[in-house]
Amino acid sequence: MNWKREMQLLETRRQFFGKGARGLSVAALASLMGTDAAAAPTGGLTGLPHFAAKAKRVIWLHQSGGPSQLDLFDYKPQLKKYHGSELPGSVRMGQRITGMTSGQASFPCAASMFKFEQVGKAGMWMSELIPHHKKIADDITLVKSVHTDAINHDPAITFIQSGSQQPGRPSIGSWVSYGLGSETQELPAFVVLLSQQNSINADQPLFSRLWGAGFLPSRYQGVRLRSGKDPVLYLADPSGIDREGRREMLDALQALNKIREEAYHDPEIDTRIQQYEMAYKMQTSVPELTDLSKEPASTFALYGEDARKPGTYAANCLLARRLVERGVRFVQLYHKGWDQHNNLPRDLALQCKASDQGAAALVQDLKQRGMLDDTLVVWGGEFGRTVYCQGKLTETDYGRDHHPRNFAMWMAGGGLKRGFQMGETDDYSYNIVSDPVHIHDIQATLLHCLGVDHKRLTYKFQGRWFRLTDVHGNVVKPLLA
Amino acid sequence: MIPRTTLAILLAGLPALFAADAKGIDFNRDIRPILSDNCFACHGPDDTTRMAGIRLDTKEGALAALTPGKPETSRIYLRIAHADPKRRMPPPSTGRTLTAPQIELIQKWIAGGADWKMHWSYEKPERLPFPVTKDKKWARNAIDHFVLARLEQEKLAPSPEADRITLLRRVSFDLTGLPPTPAEIDAFVKDKSANAYEKQVDRLLASPHYGERMAMPWLDQARYADTHGFHIDSHRDMWPWRDWVIRAFNSNMPFDRFTVEQLAGDLLPNATVDQKIASGFNRNHMINYEGGAIPEEYLVEYVADRTETTSTVWMAMTMTCARCHDHKYDPLKQKDYYRMFAFFNGVKEKGLDGRDGNADPFLRLPSGEQQKVLDDLVARINSREAELSDEKVKPAQQQWEKQRLALLEYAAPAGLREGLLAHYEMDGTVNDHSGAYRHAQVLRGEPASVLTSVGKASSFSTPSHLSLAKVDLGQEFTIAAWLTQGHHEPQTVLQQPGRLNVWWDASEPLPHLRRGAHLHVETPGMHLRTRDRLVQNDQYHVAILHSAAGGLAIRVNGQAVPVVREAETSVTKREAGALAIGQEDDSEERNGFRGRMADLRVYRRVLTETELRYLAVEHRISHMLSVPAKQRPKELTQRLREHYLTHVAPSQTQAAWADLRALRELKALLEDAIPNTMVMSEMDTPRDSFVLARGDYRNHGEKVTPNVPAVLPPLAANAKPDRLALARWLVDPSHPLTARVAVNRYWQNYFGIGIVKSSENFGTQGDPPSHPELLNWLATEFLRTNWDVKAMQRLIVTSATYRQSSRTTPAIVERDPENRLLSHMSRFRLPAEIVRDNALAVSGLLNRKIGGQSTYPYQPSGIWEEISRGEIFSAQVYKESQGEDLYRRGMYWFWKRTAPPTSLSTFDAPDREKCVARRSVTNTPLQALVLLNDPAYVEAARVLAQSVLSEAGSDTAKRLALAFRKVTGRAPEANEMKILTELATKQMARYARDTKGAAALIAIGASPADKRFPAPELAAWTNVATVLLNMDEAITKE
Repeated sequence: MNWKREMQLLETRRQFFGKGARGLSVAALASLMGTDAAAAPTGGLTGLPHFAAKAKRVIWLHQSGGPSQLDLFDYKPQLKKYHGSELPGSVRMGQRITGMTSGQASFPCAASMFKFEQVGKAGMWMSELIPHHKKIADDITLVKSVHTDAINHDPAITFIQSGSQQPGRPSIGSWVSYGLGSETQELPAFVVLLSQQNSINADQPLFSRLWGAGFLPSRYQGVRLRSGKDPVLYLADPSGIDREGRREMLDALQALNKIREEAYHDPEIDTRIQQYEMAYKMQTSVPELTDLSKEPASTFALYGEDARKPGTYAANCLLARRLVERGVRFVQLYHKGWDQHNNLPRDLALQCKASDQGAAALVQDLKQRGMLDDTLVVWGGEFGRTVYCQGKLTETDYGRDHHPRNFAMWMAGGGLKRGFQMGETDDYSYNIVSDPVHIHDIQATLLHCLGVDHKRLTYKFQGRWFRLTDVHGNVVKPLLA
Repeated sequence: MIPRTTLAILLAGLPALFAADAKGIDFNRDIRPILSDNCFACHGPDDTTRMAGIRLDTKEGALAALTPGKPETSRIYLRIAHADPKRRMPPPSTGRTLTAPQIELIQKWIAGGADWKMHWSYEKPERLPFPVTKDKKWARNAIDHFVLARLEQEKLAPSPEADRITLLRRVSFDLTGLPPTPAEIDAFVKDKSANAYEKQVDRLLASPHYGERMAMPWLDQARYADTHGFHIDSHRDMWPWRDWVIRAFNSNMPFDRFTVEQLAGDLLPNATVDQKIASGFNRNHMINYEGGAIPEEYLVEYVADRTETTSTVWMAMTMTCARCHDHKYDPLKQKDYYRMFAFFNGVKEKGLDGRDGNADPFLRLPSGEQQKVLDDLVARINSREAELSDEKVKPAQQQWEKQRLALLEYAAPAGLREGLLAHYEMDGTVNDHSGAYRHAQVLRGEPASVLTSVGKASSFSTPSHLSLAKVDLGQEFTIAAWLTQGHHEPQTVLQQPGRLNVWWDASEPLPHLRRGAHLHVETPGMHLRTRDRLVQNDQYHVAILHSAAGGLAIRVNGQAVPVVREAETSVTKREAGALAIGQEDDSEERNGFRGRMADLRVYRRVLTETELRYLAVEHRISHMLSVPAKQRPKELTQRLREHYLTHVAPSQTQAAWADLRALRELKALLEDAIPNTMVMSEMDTPRDSFVLARGDYRNHGEKVTPNVPAVLPPLAANAKPDRLALARWLVDPSHPLTARVAVNRYWQNYFGIGIVKSSENFGTQGDPPSHPELLNWLATEFLRTNWDVKAMQRLIVTSATYRQSSRTTPAIVERDPENRLLSHMSRFRLPAEIVRDNALAVSGLLNRKIGGQSTYPYQPSGIWEEISRGEIFSAQVYKESQGEDLYRRGMYWFWKRTAPPTSLSTFDAPDREKCVARRSVTNTPLQALVLLNDPAYVEAARVLAQSVLSEAGSDTAKRLALAFRKVTGRAPEANEMKILTELATKQMARYARDTKGAAALIAIGASPADKRFPAPELAAWTNVATVLLNMDEAITKE
């Protein structure tokens, strides 16, 4: 470490503290003064958290496309009886369906062709597609009665990630980093991981708005961490510039900017000097983060050999753990390909094969490191799938359309019960029978675990105090430990 | 770590800067914001949620809850100052609390008589005389009187004028988005005339780049993009509209015309093409084509977007707050919202559209030349079509049909069954009709019988495998069948281990949303594939011929087609297995067969031309004719006609038909080349509009007709209430908002913050104006000059206020961190596009071409592909531009909404999904990474270094001075020179040791490195240039 430069930087911070910093939050000042990255959060709002936080950070595993609750968690043995027979009107009750099946002449029920088993102290049903999940049954809270307002991907995924079906609102990760700030000065507070697709169905697009900052200042948007040479865009020095050469350039640049600052007294110049230092640090900290070569063999035994391949779901789960270890506040992982309109038995099996072990390993790994107590892991898609078959129902094949009326999600860790399940659906997994949990409730509960009152995390835009949960949402108390 | 925006947020909770020592209390400035933010949600305009019957947003309501002059008996005051926290207003459940100074202000206001005014922005701006100032010399124009009066009131003085270099750089960025050249700076510095600066301003206002600069913020407001957004996010063409905007600014189109043409150009009498293009403003919203989405839902969203955008852009009204219920703060009823909505609800559009290019309605824009050719083609097509009309062709065709029908039984060539090893009609069954009874066996999948143009076929919807006869193909054979490729994955069609493998490779996108794959045929020693892709889902007759001499040929529809010979074959000769369709398991290479097959024949000989033609052509004709004319589907009728015209008709008719086909192909090619742009166009009968409960498209309430909000002046009495009336109403001089909103946005472009900071919201929850009289004066001036846009820009940039230095003192920063009082010029980072344009411009790389299609500069690979939907849609794969197009201005970067240009987003460019009136300005480490490492900037630095080395000779000091001047406009100071000299020396030494590194560095970018300079020298100076381009000053408008 170059002590002289560290002292200079500290001096820069002190000067900033001394100048024009009226109204700065105590936390912000503390971080400007601090040298220990993990000691104090940077840039959060004064007064947050609103109450003691159970969880400090979040890893959200989004299974994009809408995993079939009927083939994974919501076991309906009675359906075998109804297999191939028409979904009764008394169950469907004229609810709207998508344009993909609204023209279908019949709506035959399709029972899951997979074997289910009851596991854990709560007796959760899980199918043979997710054997690794069975190991974490006593660590997770399973909600089988989640429901959403949207019926197609774009609005539904926008809804679960931003609280509104229409684009324009900040994503949940940007709300959290806006409210709680960062616990690291070397990595972004909100990191996004896109997992490579394993399924052959490549029709699940994602949108940068899903990790965008909406009307919040754009610095709160998620930063995509990619596999390959530049995990963060433009991270690597250009060919032909080594670290020493870069440092030489930076030292000259900072000295020039300092001269300007002394003449113009614009705090923005100081800030820029600091941003360049942070960028320099990221150039070391990010490659160190993404370098999995020092992980012991036991890690790969847990996550599977897939985790050695950058960009796989398993590798990203491992990376998520490494990110939260380093103080990243919100890790948003996406896994495309859960949209089984047809060939469900084959394609869903592929999706599960690619993700089951990684997701379960992440929970186990956090637990063995003692981090599950203050980390929240969320698993789920943007909606569920219909009991009725889309396309041709055969002995070995069926497809399912989008179903917003009920689906399954699980959460684990900080502040939540373990080995707990709630919510029941009818015999067709078509309607909720007890304990409905709306997407806004999930969002409110997540914020609650982070010590944030979802009604009080607001931002004024176009004259209105907006919040993640719009004007809705209730904390789901039975889920809390 | 504390960017300006965060500071602003942190400071937002403090009492208004201006309230502190204001002499009198101003209701609109001091009181209404407190009431609005804390009380209106329950005691405001929304009738349905009003508590205790108390209403504080109207004079009558407020007076019912207070006694002027007597705070101690006024209900409002008693409740906000109540000792009991449970009874104190606002209640804790709202999350809002009043500060002691706010309570005191209200107390003083009531004590002073509770003066009530209408919210300032709904009243027509009043033009007041200039205030009197002590300093009589400083002011240059009207603006300065207002600014100076305020400064004097605050006991502050304005700053001295900026030096000429700074001033020219500032005004050049502001009016053109480009830095001044050293020659332009020299000319200005040397010009001693009194109006030297004004001359520069006039030069810049006349520059064609002025229109580009003015268009940039307009594109954010208009949510311009090059893709449709939402789920598929495929390509659209709205750049002709963008070109229109640039032209409109350059020709100084008055703002009222600019407004009317964009909102209702299509409705103007005898609308010109340009006016129709302009109306595309309200087609820039996102358009959905997600499979399964419900059209009605999106029709409502499009109209809602237009309502929101129009209200924000022209009136800074938050209309959307009244979409689900009455507005909580401003006097807008839910019904007001749907009346505005109704203006935009008559567009001839579909709920789901944009599958392939622009969505209806759109306008084709042929060039004069294209139009001429097109007219000519259409005329020739019409005349050929007349020649080939049913009237003229049908009698002879019917005659032929009759004759041919009579021949049906005899059509098959004699001996067609000779050497027939197996024959599967594939009509849904798998029986062998060769006479050998070698029936096939379905091992996987399920054939369904479907009717096609060749009769029945077997359709396999899942990967399938059928075992056929175990036949010895021998040295000579023919395999023929009707074949349809039913899936994009690679798949096996036919195989016989040790002898033959026929398969489709992966099908890839073709133009017009089609896909296609190559057909491969492998035998021991030979591997052929079709040169062209056969279209997926189309039915082809395929014949594979193998002659004794070892020749292998592929016939498609009876014709020889071009083939490519592949180097390797996977078939090794060994004892032949059974012939099979598809394969047993899906492998990594290929899956089982999916698609359709009919009339599969296996021969122990090579068929003759006549036989092949019979199978591929005549056989089908026979089938088609066997369907009685009245029952023939359109497709069969069409095919028969084409067959007749191509093969049977008299030679003159055949020639006319060949000509018509060629002409049609030409027309299709030409139409693909003609740009088109989306426009507004009204339905003959507009859709009915309803109040939608909770804003949901399914909940129709009261029916409404188009009208404007009741709080604003009414529409012109005799006007038909349509978009044209709405547009004219917006620019009527009686409208209280339009002019102020427009001039405020101009102000924001120059000073970073508008006179009303919340430039998107002039409602009660918006920020009060820092200089209300100035805002009003500018608005009335805008009207007085008949909305002269250039004159308004000129007025602002020639003011003494604008010409001030941006140097500050710590005391001023402390006192007025956002510079709302304008005691100096605000300095802030350049907008995203201009950060890039500047680097390209100073290096000399910039391509200054104006307008046209968007381009694809350098972008790290995979940015689109990782998230996009892929498949056959457009704009899913990023194809980097070549040559000059790499260096176009940032505003022409192809804007994909779900993955906007990477390095522009990093510098706060919005995603363009929604109207944005104000960008955030952040300062982040990711920006440092872009400027240091993005190849675009590394290349710009290298090219800048090249120009310095070639212009400044070998002297380090001269080189540094020139480089510094190119980047900042000014000469470096001694202390700056010292730092840079040291850097240059060190970098030279570094690359003298590391020549490999030097070569690598200067190889970055598409433009070749200048060979005149040794690599180590150029590399060192590239890094010096990088440092200069990264200086805060380089990316800041001083």
